[in-house]
Amino acid sequence: MQDKQCSLKEAVQMISNGSTLTFSGFTIWRRPMAVIFEMIRQGKNNLHLIEVNSGSHSEMLIGAGAVSIWESCWIGHELYGKVPYCLDRKMKSGDITAEDYSHQHILYRMQAGAAGIPYMPTWASRGTDILNPEYDMLGKAGLRDGQNPRIPRQKYAFVSDPFYGEGEMILVPAARPDVCIIHAQQAGEEGTVRVMGQTFSDAQAAKAADKVIVIAEEIVPESYLREEPDRNLLPSYLVDAVVEVPWGAYPTGVYGYYDVDGAFLREFASASKNEASLEAWFGEWVYGVESHEEFLDKLTVSHLMSLKANGYHKYSTRVKRGVK
Amino acid sequence: MEKALMQREGYAALDEYTSADLLAVAAAREVREEEVVFAGTGLPMLAIMLAQVSGTSCKVIYEAGTIESQSRSLPSSVGDPRCVTGCSIASGLLDVFDQLQRGRIDLAFLGGAEIDQYGNVNTTVIGDYLHPDVRFPGSGGNSDINSLSKRTVFIMLQEKRRFKEQVDYITSPGWRVRHWPSGEWVHRRRAYGQKFAGGPTAVITNMAVYRFDEESGRMYVDTIHPGVAKDMLQENAGFPLDFSRCRGETVPPTYEELDILYQVVDPEGVFLAKKS
Repeated sequence: MQDKQCSLKEAVQMISNGSTLTFSGFTIWRRPMAVIFEMIRQGKNNLHLIEVNSGSHSEMLIGAGAVSIWESCWIGHELYGKVPYCLDRKMKSGDITAEDYSHQHILYRMQAGAAGIPYMPTWASRGTDILNPEYDMLGKAGLRDGQNPRIPRQKYAFVSDPFYGEGEMILVPAARPDVCIIHAQQAGEEGTVRVMGQTFSDAQAAKAADKVIVIAEEIVPESYLREEPDRNLLPSYLVDAVVEVPWGAYPTGVYGYYDVDGAFLREFASASKNEASLEAWFGEWVYGVESHEEFLDKLTVSHLMSLKANGYHKYSTRVKRGVK
Repeated sequence: MEKALMQREGYAALDEYTSADLLAVAAAREVREEEVVFAGTGLPMLAIMLAQVSGTSCKVIYEAGTIESQSRSLPSSVGDPRCVTGCSIASGLLDVFDQLQRGRIDLAFLGGAEIDQYGNVNTTVIGDYLHPDVRFPGSGGNSDINSLSKRTVFIMLQEKRRFKEQVDYITSPGWRVRHWPSGEWVHRRRAYGQKFAGGPTAVITNMAVYRFDEESGRMYVDTIHPGVAKDMLQENAGFPLDFSRCRGETVPPTYEELDILYQVVDPEGVFLAKKS
């Protein structure tokens, strides 16, 4: 049997420059942050992100200059920062092509990819500028010529419902990422994935991708995961690499393990307002540490323990979240 | 009503609550018994939790994949583990967006950065989309949830720059929209055809409650919050407001509602800062 367990550095080396990537999680929850930081340290570039929704992790990749195409429906830091300053600057400088879909549209794009079909129909978001053909940005950039197998020839198509005559439907093209990077609570030694709490769009993202890299809070025996198979999300044969990285989704939050570090995200969001302060932030928190372990040491045990989830509630009851 | 009488009736006086408190309370009052409500991140979560704790038996769906959520601790966003507490199903996006498209959602409870007189909302970009002044987060599920629910209530802060005659970019559809691929301006009913389910029915701001004439598609002032003058409201809108159907003042929060807001819903001050 192939040994899929490897180090974080080795897993990130599996990601080629120019790849199309997608991730587990939802906005600022359960993102594979240890991989994001290591990708920045390894100088990944020319990446094409296609995500059901985006968040702080992509703002960091974009800010570090690693991304040339971003397709999604949302990017920000939730409560901790409304404006995606990195995307804003890179769009203005012409370094990135950003393509907007609606949440349902891009979810169905991922589902079509997962199901092995070229497109899916939907009724959602008619009457919006998301469908405005003037705003087909990959088309405007000349990238819809069929040369790149990850970019469809059209942003949308419309078709009249041939079965029930319910009117004109929107067709969205399948998403076909090279690699999906998942952060899960548990994975088996061979790669079976268990996700606890909300599963977001992880199943669609993983199944749409050609390769899956799994980062787990804990690696556990496969036999343990098979005691309750109804709690598992992916079988091992869909997974190419498994890495155990405790706190590997920090500063995003993980159900049952730890909360979002809102103050940390707010600091990043604030630093991202200009290139100089962003560089300083990367210098301190990414380039200034050799490894994930050094990063955790810098954060201190007492700080991390304030975020640790309560075993019953599944979230931290000690984290300071508001003004009180 | 005069101040002393209002207080005897259990209503708080103007100096006893903030505009954010009234916004949350007015929004919570829009929720009807037994409705299936799809709530977005931010102030909608505060308002829906207030409605739930106040005893409205609604079914709350959060966008990231929780169904019939009964949070005990206010979630900061829809991906928060706090959404999972007491829910009947914790699943994912495909489950909730499929249900939405299937026509199961009664009420969409959403926020917005900018709105226009037809209820079109923009959360994508300020300025020309191709040459933006500022990039915003984007649609998220706002456009889908609003486009496929029976009613939409928008909850937002009112400023002149946010209340526009026409938004720079239609992220989420109101009553007069562009029909693609032609781009023709049409009534929402025409854009949705057989799949028309409803549309924006109210906009709740920190200053007033607005509703829509569903034929003309235009917004009108329904009630004005206590302490807000008509001219002040107009000064904070970028188009001429229609006062012709104004019913008077918004009912202020009760002491009980304020207690629930500060003691039960948001004791940590995640969204609310108490009036000092």
